[in-house]
Amino acid sequence: MAYFIVQILPYIAVTIFGLGLLFRLVRWAGARLLGTSHEITLAPFPQSPFQAGWVFLREIAFFRNVFFFDPSLWVGAWPMHMALFMVLGGHAVGFYFTGHQFVYIGMSPELSEYMSNLLGSVFGLVLLLGLIYLLVRKVSLVKTRQVSNPSDYLHLIFLIAIVTVGDIMRYFPQYGMHYEEVYEYFKALILLQPVPEFVFHNWFFITHMLLVQCLMIYFPFSKLLHLFGMFAMRWIENRVHIDPEPGLPGVDVAAARARGTGLPSAGGTA
Amino acid sequence: MPEYKGMAQPVKATVEDLKKLRLVPVPDEKKVEEAIRLLDEARKKFRSFVLAMESCVKCGLCAENCHAYLGTRDPHNIPTNRAELIRKVYKRYFTLEGRWFGKLVGAEDLTLDTLEQWYSYFYQCTECRRCGSVCPFGIDTCEVTMIARQILYWLGMVPKLHVGGGWGIERVGNQTNVAKPAIVDTLEFLSEEIKDEFGVDVRFPVDEEADILYVPSSADYMLNPYTLMGAAMFFTYIGAKWTIPSFMSEAGNFGLLFDQRHLMRHLFMRLHDSAVNLGVKKIVWGECGHGWRAWKMYLPYFVDRPLRWEITHLHDEVAYYIRTNQLKLDPTRNSQPVTLHDPCNYVRACSPAGPYGHTENMRTIIRAVTVDFREMYPNREKNFCCGGGSAVLFDDPEMYQKRIQFSQTKADQIRATGVGKDGNGILCAPCSICKAQFYPMVEEHELGVTVHGLIDLVGKALVWK
Ligand code: HEM
Ligand code: SF4
Ligand code: SF4
Ligand code: SF4
Repeated sequence: MAYFIVQILPYIAVTIFGLGLLFRLVRWAGARLLGTSHEITLAPFPQSPFQAGWVFLREIAFFRNVFFFDPSLWVGAWPMHMALFMVLGGHAVGFYFTGHQFVYIGMSPELSEYMSNLLGSVFGLVLLLGLIYLLVRKVSLVKTRQVSNPSDYLHLIFLIAIVTVGDIMRYFPQYGMHYEEVYEYFKALILLQPVPEFVFHNWFFITHMLLVQCLMIYFPFSKLLHLFGMFAMRWIENRVHIDPEPGLPGVDVAAARARGTGLPSAGGTA
Repeated sequence: MPEYKGMAQPVKATVEDLKKLRLVPVPDEKKVEEAIRLLDEARKKFRSFVLAMESCVKCGLCAENCHAYLGTRDPHNIPTNRAELIRKVYKRYFTLEGRWFGKLVGAEDLTLDTLEQWYSYFYQCTECRRCGSVCPFGIDTCEVTMIARQILYWLGMVPKLHVGGGWGIERVGNQTNVAKPAIVDTLEFLSEEIKDEFGVDVRFPVDEEADILYVPSSADYMLNPYTLMGAAMFFTYIGAKWTIPSFMSEAGNFGLLFDQRHLMRHLFMRLHDSAVNLGVKKIVWGECGHGWRAWKMYLPYFVDRPLRWEITHLHDEVAYYIRTNQLKLDPTRNSQPVTLHDPCNYVRACSPAGPYGHTENMRTIIRAVTVDFREMYPNREKNFCCGGGSAVLFDDPEMYQKRIQFSQTKADQIRATGVGKDGNGILCAPCSICKAQFYPMVEEHELGVTVHGLIDLVGKALVWK
């Protein structure tokens, strides 16, 4: 079982994840949109690509709409997502450089590893709290209960499970794995070699791996793809649109007023 | 009819009504199958629709940003739930997770009852796009509504009101169904009115060769005469050679609201042909929100011949002449307190950003022609709809009751400005459907305001000597 999870399933999960993403994106791309149908630009229409880019940026980096139109959602959603990006990035960077990534900006290896641990601990906790907040919100507000399907709660619960196991490994080092060990594990996986023996003894790690791989398998078939959906939707809506110049043909207002158009003495129209 | 299993529904067009548009309704036993086929077609064609089906995270943010939900608290009026009426079917037939995990992800078979539910709730959406503009991802439930209405129309489920407008378009070129003699009569009468009230000679040229083609909303002939009078006075004042085409006497386009294929294009072609026949150089649009959206954002992609004319909105032109100081205006002629209702179709679906976009142009105008202008909040592209958009102007008792509820949020906004405190306020609502919704609604909510267009106020403020 453990062997399957850490040695075989990763290849299956990555394949399904990749093909699933491709499937969804091709499906979206297959639907025609502009030019042959209509423009559904949303106001205020950007006047330059720079302005359009700004709309994308402020929504992605700051969740501006959420902030203005539902602040109590923002309080959970924004920290949760930012922590999520940090944690994802942290996994990649931390394991690749075995915690020594900050050496490149001038820290000593010890300090770098300390920083890496600190950031991981902080964002791991923010992520967990954010997710719990969103789950509580989802079950306690009438409107969110009215819009949610069972799967919408499950997504949150599932992420909470993953993060909880992850945080346990982080906060209780005796259950965790060291950077070098994870590095070796992934190296073996990537080189298609048998994974090192020590992985089989850490059930927290195995559980974490199992959950993450389940997530990867269903991710492409779920709403979690809003990450791409957002770009695709805004690509249609936040577009440059420039109006034709105002000013009417054959019109000279000064001359018309001098002639007195409309005034009874001048008689009638132009 | 106006209710089906407890759901309010607009009165449906009969088989005879539909025959006028040469539409044969699908028999009940075939409706479900045909609807699935049409849905499959729509999802392959409109990416905006596919994304609305597949990217919503159910955060619920859109709920309290839709006036229909705020006014009724009916869960199906939450934008994402409105879309869910289709999404549950979409999931069931077109997605793996829906086919395999049905209940868990909320997938459901399509039934006749579901179609009746679509008919009820997609005609409670006013296509105002507020949900789209507040959604973190821009998911536009208006797109879903449009597709639902198109499918329902092809099945033969469409309000009598809308089909009536469509029939007018085909018969005489406008939704109000007024033919040329009546138009000419009305315009002559308005000429006399202008003479009496403002003491100036203003003619309404119909079907004459001209530089400018002006397309008024057909509702202006009967319901909003001051808007037409204001436009005519403006054109006369600046000495323009202008004309109104009788072959295409409609700034609106009901095609946008239920039949974006034949009907919408039919009217587009009428515009094209009128412009060719009258030899005009530029086309100027009258006050109509949904219509302006159709002509501005859809026309270039739908018309069957290349378009050779620039089309601008009358507001943009008037604002330009005000900015360049070419009009002499006396704002004290509109001395009552005024507030502006931003028609959603202008401010969300049509307006460029910046000081010369439609949204700011309306403010340039209103500040120049009134003395006591008060914004309502929220405003501009964040405004709330009047509650009548997309011709949800039904007057059977059940739907009329809904209209009162849909306009509740707007009424609260207007009341908060205080313009109607002394009963002499002006509510400027420069869109035909907004006006049609507000005429009764300001009474229902006792707002102490009268309803005017923006060009009405310009006409009154022009100083001729
Ligand atoms: C650029 C990338 C992303 C952006 C801009 C983004 C944005 C958003 C926004 C605005 C919401 C709505 C607010 C909320 O309900 O919390 C949301 C919800 C959510 N996002 Fe993301 N997201 C991104 C990536 C991700 C990723 C990669 C995941 C996880 C694998 C994720 C998981 C979730 C979940 C579970 C919810 C639902 C929360 C709830 O139901 O309350 N997001 N996202
Ligand atoms: S705001 Fe957008 S993502 Fe959130 S529930 Fe509404 S449609 Fe879905
Ligand atoms: S378009 Fe307007 S009426 Fe329709 S669901 Fe969205 S906010 Fe509500
Ligand atoms: S009727 Fe007016 S307020 Fe309502 S949707 Fe149309 S433009 Fe918007």
